[in-house]
Amino acid sequence: MKIDKEACTGCELCRPYCPVGAIQAVEHKSEIVSDIDQDACVECGVCLKADVCPADAIYETELEWPRSIRAAFSNPMVRHPSSGASGRGTMEMKTNDVTGRYRRGFAGIGIEMGRPGIGTTFRDLQTVSMSLGRLGVIFESDNPVTATMIDAKTGKFSEEVLNERVLSAIIEFKIETNRLQEVLETLREVSGKIETVFSVGIISRIGPEGSMPNVEIARKAGFSPRPNTKTNVGLGRPLIEEV
Amino acid sequence: MTHTLHRRGKPEDLHEDYVLLAMQARGVNREGCEEKMGQVWEVLSHYEADLTNFGNMTDGNSHTTSMDVLKRTTWHMAHAVFKDRETLKACLKEFKERDLGISVVISGLYEETEKICSEIGLSPHTVEHSLGVFGKTELLPEENVLEITTMCGHALVSPSLVIQMIDDINEGRRTYEEAAEELSKMCDCGIFNLYRAKKLLRKMISEA
Repeated sequence: MKIDKEACTGCELCRPYCPVGAIQAVEHKSEIVSDIDQDACVECGVCLKADVCPADAIYETELEWPRSIRAAFSNPMVRHPSSGASGRGTMEMKTNDVTGRYRRGFAGIGIEMGRPGIGTTFRDLQTVSMSLGRLGVIFESDNPVTATMIDAKTGKFSEEVLNERVLSAIIEFKIETNRLQEVLETLREVSGKIETVFSVGIISRIGPEGSMPNVEIARKAGFSPRPNTKTNVGLGRPLIEEV
Repeated sequence: MTHTLHRRGKPEDLHEDYVLLAMQARGVNREGCEEKMGQVWEVLSHYEADLTNFGNMTDGNSHTTSMDVLKRTTWHMAHAVFKDRETLKACLKEFKERDLGISVVISGLYEETEKICSEIGLSPHTVEHSLGVFGKTELLPEENVLEITTMCGHALVSPSLVIQMIDDINEGRRTYEEAAEELSKMCDCGIFNLYRAKKLLRKMISEA
């Protein structure tokens, strides 16, 4: 996103709308106007969507690779070139009643890098994905983060995307329940090696008596699952058959 | 993915924050889904007066679109936000009775959503839990700001805009209603809970 500094009146109305605080005051021809820090901007398009500029000075430009990756991950209205779908991940558990992606005995893991609202570089993303790659996890293939990797076994990205910054991006995979603790410990360890934050979600196919072993393992590992969850209530058809 | 999972707040606040999502799966039951989605929106329209927001990513939210438009949508996903469990329960019961074959996900306090399912004879199939935030958490805004901003799962509601809205209310430039609506406009999917946002803004100002 850019601001036409010739047109900008310096009214500052746009500044609070930027989720990552990339709009700054700058001096231009002896006037104070607004400008967008191109390194900080994640190309989410909120400044334009807010429609508050009285001078129509905010505009978007056609983005070339690798900068185009910023909009693909940050603006939910932009489709990913890898999948043709919009959004930051997959359908994960939303349709698990008909896809059977997550079965009993497994845990689905979603690590949303940069969330909530801080943003992430692909360099930080790679730090986390490669630490998981070393555990041998198999990243979800139908996911835009995985599609961006140059090596989906190790979790490595190409050098040219490492400094690109996005609002968030989701690393997804599933593992056997008996390996969940090892993954959670790795996440805790790697969380001290990055310059941003991540939010973690774990997916459980509910057991016959309402049991959720994955949640118990997380608790025993010292994590505190939040009281609010997402629950697929099983109304999808055809209902997947359990193996 | 996960855009309704990581909402922050204390259980007493979350009692007024439930999101229902209905969608079809690519390659399974999405193809030719348009008519079914019209029926989804017809069911949701029965509860419109009690919804605090609704919409989808392509047609917009309750500010920018209408139930009549959504009943004709071709988009495979629908969102609706409820402020009370009884309305959610009634709506979910209707979905069960209509047996549309579309996956339905409800986000909110698990102790309540589990009970709701039990009361209407549904068995939860799959659950996703948030384990919280890790890394440089010192970068995060104040918790009361996060309670508002995390109601947009794509993080399009800026913490600075929440502060600006507080200033606008304090200086008489906006009402609570107008401030909540301005915040909600940034959330394309229609999952931002306007009712809760107003209450949280009021609480922030009263506690300042």
